[in-house]
Amino acid sequence: MAGGLHVQGLQKRFGDVVALRGINLEVPTGELVGFLGPNGAGKTTTMRGILGLVAMDAGSVTWNGSPITIDDRRHVGYMPQERGLYPRMKVHEHIAYIGRLAGLDRSTADQRASYWAERVGLADRVDDLIQELSTGNQQRVQLAVALVHEPNLMILDEPFAGLDPVAVATLTDIMTEQVERGVSVVFSSHQLDLVQDVAEQVTIVAAGETKATGTVTELRNRSPKRLLEIRWAGPEPDWSPPGANREPGRDGVTRFVVAAETDASALIAQAATAGEVAAVSYQPPGLDEVFLELVGA
Amino acid sequence: MTSPVREVAWREIVTRSRTTSFRAITGILVLVAIIVPVALALWPDDEDELRTVTVGLVDVEQATQQVILAFAEGNLDIEFQEYSGSSIEVVSQAVAEGDIDVAIEPGPTIVWNKDIDFEIAVVLNNAFQQQDVLARGRGLGLDEQDIANLFTPLVVEERFVEGTDESDEVASVVALIGLMAAFILPQAFGQLTLLSVVEEKSTRVVEVLLSHLRPRTLLLGKVIGLGVLAVIQLAVVVGGGIAALLLTSTFEIPASVWRFIPILVISVLGGLAIYNTLFALLGSLISRQEDASQVMMPTLVPLIAGYIIGQSAIFGDADTGIAKVLTLFPLTAPMMLPIRVARDAIEWWEVTLSLGLLVLGVLLLIRVAGRVYEFTLLHTGARVGWRELIRMSRGALD
Repeated sequence: MAGGLHVQGLQKRFGDVVALRGINLEVPTGELVGFLGPNGAGKTTTMRGILGLVAMDAGSVTWNGSPITIDDRRHVGYMPQERGLYPRMKVHEHIAYIGRLAGLDRSTADQRASYWAERVGLADRVDDLIQELSTGNQQRVQLAVALVHEPNLMILDEPFAGLDPVAVATLTDIMTEQVERGVSVVFSSHQLDLVQDVAEQVTIVAAGETKATGTVTELRNRSPKRLLEIRWAGPEPDWSPPGANREPGRDGVTRFVVAAETDASALIAQAATAGEVAAVSYQPPGLDEVFLELVGA
Repeated sequence: MTSPVREVAWREIVTRSRTTSFRAITGILVLVAIIVPVALALWPDDEDELRTVTVGLVDVEQATQQVILAFAEGNLDIEFQEYSGSSIEVVSQAVAEGDIDVAIEPGPTIVWNKDIDFEIAVVLNNAFQQQDVLARGRGLGLDEQDIANLFTPLVVEERFVEGTDESDEVASVVALIGLMAAFILPQAFGQLTLLSVVEEKSTRVVEVLLSHLRPRTLLLGKVIGLGVLAVIQLAVVVGGGIAALLLTSTFEIPASVWRFIPILVISVLGGLAIYNTLFALLGSLISRQEDASQVMMPTLVPLIAGYIIGQSAIFGDADTGIAKVLTLFPLTAPMMLPIRVARDAIEWWEVTLSLGLLVLGVLLLIRVAGRVYEFTLLHTGARVGWRELIRMSRGALD
């Protein structure tokens, strides 16, 4: 079994509600994995299960090939969906405190707290109380808290929610940097365009089950659909490929959804006979459409 | 490496001691502890004031007057009024009308109105006896040194089998202060513990904490931290009071009182441990501060029962059946045990059993609370019911 996090067959029931029916998730060492799913799909419960915050009814969580232990979990950087900070603690104090809880000695925790406060852009706010910060800045503190002990695994639940573009760029840089350092990073997000740009691997879950896993390109290629987009040089002809769905186009572009097994070159040749083609594109659907296909929306 | 329990405890101490309310309350308590002994020292006690007695003198020698004053010193404030040359009727009238308390006529004769005032009588009789012995001594040819030797008083030592009333009073006062500490501190710091748990739940910071700590570690750190803070507050207040007492020297603490101080300290610590744990457990059942008073209500029953029975044990019978039962019950033992020890109304085996049950109760409650914590810390929304609580606790007792 490869290094990193391996989640197999997680199941969890809360009373009559089945939250997880069998979640599988792989986060190899030094990789960035997007964990996607609609609301209520079981992402947060899975993350809490990995951290031992919620006892699972069935399934296993292993780290580097062995069942994950409390000591392994002390090397996890966690950013919960509902931000968790002490409102009346100072920024530096808070980051250092969590560092010490994770096992750092006092002086290292202080040094790292200063470093990460600066990295997330809060160098001039270290002596402010958490409650005096804006929501976005509190989120930066939360990120610093997740990073202060230099974790081996980062679990980030909706880390981009509520961030401005500058903060998103900072977070993306830091995540990429951590991955280059060999850290395994898994994050959930509803911003699929962002996931598509950032993540190497993606796991999509729905209704407590894993629906698909793979690279973004693999998932897109697995789609039974393809998108044919044609920009006409002249007037748009009344033409559609056989069995295709024509979608409303704009700016002189016509968009067709065709089956994946369709012969693309034959289709383009047919289009050229129907009208004068200025540009053509034939590709699998984007991650957002793949996501919708898989979660059944 | 740092100890997570110590880190959690330290954070509780630092953050709570920084709050304005904690500082204000501690300041007020220290002020009261200092002001009371100082005020007692400055405020003259009625018992310290000497009774003024007016003594009428009919041809009494100056030397006798000096001896009377010497015997009265520290007991009576004697004022003399001269009646030399006055008739017996005048002197008698002065005594009868209360112009003077007593008169001395040659003889010597002491003139009272109706009743003898024994305090004055002792002073005057001792003075006359001494003057008479002096005169006889001189008559026998003794020199002044021999006479002085005759009057050198014998030092008589005193021993009390059951202690003096004063040491009983001081023991009762200290026991009462101990009872108040064992009643108030667990409530005050128990509530702080509860609110700290609720704050961590409501702000969701508990999720981050539990990704690094076991629930029981978090619980222990919290209980220890706030317990230490309570002890610091108590030590500052009591220290201030003792310092004020020593400086003003209003009274000394009798040796018998020091005997039960260790039991008092252990009881207060035990009370803090058991109630802080209990309040932490209760805090984990709710998600909003508004529900705190409702969930705390049951803990007031043993606290109030212990306080009421404790008070009656201080001022009345400390050996009743109910006092014995509450001494053994871990939630009331911190209040009852020191009182019964102070009143010397307890057998040694009761002390041992009470302390043993208290320690056992604390350990058991920590185990149960740790177990419940695991289930409830991430619980939000409606309060966890008592039936659900009992179900969760079962695993801890296996």
